[in-house]
Amino acid sequence: MRKINDRSRDLGAFVPADDDQMIICRCEEITKGEIRQAVHDGMFTLTEVRRYLRTGMGLCQGQTCGKLVKGIIVRELGTAPAELEPAFSRVPMRPIEMKVFANEQEVQGDE
Amino acid sequence: MSNTADTVIIGGGIIGAATAYYLALQGAKVIVLEKSDHIGNGGSSRNGGGVRQSGRDPRELPLVMYGVNNLWPKLSDELGVDVEYVQEGNLRLGKTEQHLNILRGLTERSVACGLDVKMINAKEAQEICPYLSDEIIGASWCPTDGHANPMLATLAYYRKARMLGARFITGENVLKIKKIRGHARQVITESGVYEGENIILAAGYDSRPIMATVGIDVPMTQIALEVLVTEAQPQMFGQMLGTAMADFYGHQSKHHGSFIFGGTSGFEDTNKDNGLPVTASLTAPCTCRGIMKYFPLLQDVKIVRTWSGWADIAADQIPVISHVEEVPGLIVACGFTGHGFGIAPTVGLLLSQLARGEQTVLDLTEFRYDRFKTKI
Amino acid sequence: MKRYDLIVVGAGPAGLSAAIEAAKCGLQVIVFDENANPGGQLFKQVHKFFGSKEHKAKIRGFRIGEQLLVEANQLGVQVVLNATVAGLFQDKEITVRINDGIYHYKGDTIIVATGASENATAFEGWTLPGVIGAGAAQTMMNLHGIVPGSKVLMLGSGNVGLVVSYQLLQVGCEVVALADAAPRVGGYGVHAAKLTRTGVPFYLSHTIIKAEGSDCVTGVTIGAVDKAWKLIPGTEKHFAVDTICVAVGLSPMAQILSAAGCSMEESQSKGGYVPVCDEYGETSIAGVFVAGDVSGVEEASSAMIEGRIAGIAVAEYLGFIDKTVLTQKTLELESALSTLRQGMFAIENRGKILEKTDEGYDVSLHLLQKGYLTEEEVMQYPGVTKQQGVHAVIECSQNIPCNPCQDACPKQCIKVGDNITSLPVIDEAAVCIGCGLCVAACSGQAIFLVDENYEDGYASITLPYEFLPLPAKGNAGWALDRSGQKVCKAEVVKVNTASAFDRTNLLTIKVPVEMAMKARFFKGGDCHA
Repeated sequence: MRKINDRSRDLGAFVPADDDQMIICRCEEITKGEIRQAVHDGMFTLTEVRRYLRTGMGLCQGQTCGKLVKGIIVRELGTAPAELEPAFSRVPMRPIEMKVFANEQEVQGDE
Repeated sequence: MSNTADTVIIGGGIIGAATAYYLALQGAKVIVLEKSDHIGNGGSSRNGGGVRQSGRDPRELPLVMYGVNNLWPKLSDELGVDVEYVQEGNLRLGKTEQHLNILRGLTERSVACGLDVKMINAKEAQEICPYLSDEIIGASWCPTDGHANPMLATLAYYRKARMLGARFITGENVLKIKKIRGHARQVITESGVYEGENIILAAGYDSRPIMATVGIDVPMTQIALEVLVTEAQPQMFGQMLGTAMADFYGHQSKHHGSFIFGGTSGFEDTNKDNGLPVTASLTAPCTCRGIMKYFPLLQDVKIVRTWSGWADIAADQIPVISHVEEVPGLIVACGFTGHGFGIAPTVGLLLSQLARGEQTVLDLTEFRYDRFKTKI
Repeated sequence: MKRYDLIVVGAGPAGLSAAIEAAKCGLQVIVFDENANPGGQLFKQVHKFFGSKEHKAKIRGFRIGEQLLVEANQLGVQVVLNATVAGLFQDKEITVRINDGIYHYKGDTIIVATGASENATAFEGWTLPGVIGAGAAQTMMNLHGIVPGSKVLMLGSGNVGLVVSYQLLQVGCEVVALADAAPRVGGYGVHAAKLTRTGVPFYLSHTIIKAEGSDCVTGVTIGAVDKAWKLIPGTEKHFAVDTICVAVGLSPMAQILSAAGCSMEESQSKGGYVPVCDEYGETSIAGVFVAGDVSGVEEASSAMIEGRIAGIAVAEYLGFIDKTVLTQKTLELESALSTLRQGMFAIENRGKILEKTDEGYDVSLHLLQKGYLTEEEVMQYPGVTKQQGVHAVIECSQNIPCNPCQDACPKQCIKVGDNITSLPVIDEAAVCIGCGLCVAACSGQAIFLVDENYEDGYASITLPYEFLPLPAKGNAGWALDRSGQKVCKAEVVKVNTASAFDRTNLLTIKVPVEMAMKARFFKGGDCHA
């Protein structure tokens, strides 16, 4: 059974912090403050923050920032890490040029 | 927190979120129930972002034109989040005479409904977008079409609706709708009961089993459609693109520089999945080949992600947006057939009007739930 | 569509081991790896491994990788390098990018052995050029022959941080400090000790406050933290560095499985988001198995065993062997795996503060907080004895599954016993011949030959030395103690580079006899050749 998540619960006001300017998602240059504010805007999951801010949408697809973003969301929500659904991963596992992706080849050798 | 509201909305996608916003704006008390863990997790976040009038079913044209003229241009300011709406036109490309014939047919149909769209030649197309392949011989051109960011649009509606007091709950799996003394009032979930004066069901294909609990059906099928996105690139063009043969469609994000393209392999009707919308091994390569036939200079651009989303395909290709009089209190909005994004703001507004018993700004006769007739 | 009995994704220790076992059972196997070199993380591990002979102990990581590849090739396993598996689809189909094309393959079974990736940690200035992962630094040095920088601060005292710090020293970098916000060293004490004795200071309970520089790293400030991880004002320390290496843990690279709809679970002890699997590694997708770090971060030794278990399991799954053979073979492997998972660093002991070794000796808190044993502490361990003439002094104080020292000694001076996590014991009845094989065999470089009767007033210390340039006989210099401090003048009396030592050179220095239990490293003097 999924966890019920009432988005109306009071998180308290957004309190600016000294390190809000620190970049967390390097690929898309998203800062800690932006992530924290996103939570206050109602983005309570990694996926919502991702779709809202683009964290994890760059070339590394969240391999570098994933855990960091999760930690910030968890702290802002005042919840436990286990409560947060992990992000979705998708094909391709590494960025691939369009002409290569288009170039389906037959495997050589005896079939 | 009370589980009673003026309106209970089932489905936390852009339709549900937009409706919640327009209702909350009027001071109505709204509860939105979303089955998954995320707002906008269905088609709302997975579509290609087209805000397109051209190529639409004539019955849908009034809805999208109303949106383009009245809602989309000011949406970012209104919601306080930049939804990346860009209105720089739509080029639908052709390489053969046969393609052009298809485009002409679509154009004439749309012109008859008052849309500003026309056929242009290769030179004119190149002037609009200098990155086209030399093999393109003509196109249809609609200058008032555009695109936006579907994830941001959905979440922007959600954010503002939430700020205005709408209550959103994710992880709530709706099991049934219950009539109380002849009126649809209760929404029973795995965890509890919610109650409203009316219930709006906007849960994509999942609407079907839910509406079945009050004896209603909308003839729909569900197919998975795929989209891909590239790494950021220097700005090339702001038009929406498509082809006569629907090889692909897409645009370059002005805000980010990445290209978003949707495409089909031809096997969409029979592709299997594991219960979740999955990508098929053949689709993305096919989409890439389609793109490169029209934009060869994109060949070195890297694709960073592909994804799939379910489209609820109505039997006659346009949605149901309707009171269900035989179940008083129930309003159904589903079957958007893969083109719900462009009309979503309009539909949200219309649903809020239906829920409040107001005169709708547009006529919704064509979208009635009981319109489906046999062939003879 | 080209179909294989088994497709393995990842030619690291787990993947190659799996391919080998499956091929031995008669399966047609293909392995894909995105790298140009096979062996996964092994190809850049230049240090000697722990464990026992069956775990390839005392062999350098990259050689283990080479051995695995040779064995795989001999068994007819196809290993395709520079081949990036783009995704896993329905019906156990994968697409692979090879050169400029994409290829479709199907497996009757698939083993995903994609390993793990480095974690990041954010601090002010962490996006400056010069801040790199420790694993990345290791790849640069050991694979590409590029020195990552000249002055390095290492963040992280787990085995990766400790081992890479040592390798940075070996390529000529200056490791100005090693810092960790944790109060105790996370990796093996012996890995820490071999660092501290060269003079690298440890700053436990310290975190990075900021990395300085405008275009690149030019310095770093660290500061002490209290038990609540809050910075203690006034404890700031500044270092001029051009490189900050970050070794803050690994996360399984299981994206290909989660994208395919595999059941996953979040596990802190396993390092993050991992596929749910049974004891053979089979996931929730029938016929798709996992092995190695992708299913839970451990190390190469356990990855190899997990790989072998999965390889045998798929053989049974496809009817190449029957269930009794599966059970029998995996029983031995499970036992080898559980041996590795014992001792102080076992998963169940993670987070616990152990005060005594299994035998009842005190676990050195000083080692954990400062990176080295004190002279008083060293004396209590069973590997440290006072004897006439040359004898081995084994400064091994933690229960780690490891026993190459026992096998190395031709005179049976060293006893570990059947339980390989036991501390090595010196048998005082046995007579040491000073061959030095134990010194070279110890992967932790924790064994020294001490002879307090070397000369009148002088003792000789034979220590493991893996740095270039190698000192020469007659060189004068300084002896450093366990903390890296100069304690006395020293002269090199012998340099032994026998091939049996596998590049762990044996350096014998002469020091005043009262320094015999202090001197543990050598630094060339100002005017050495």
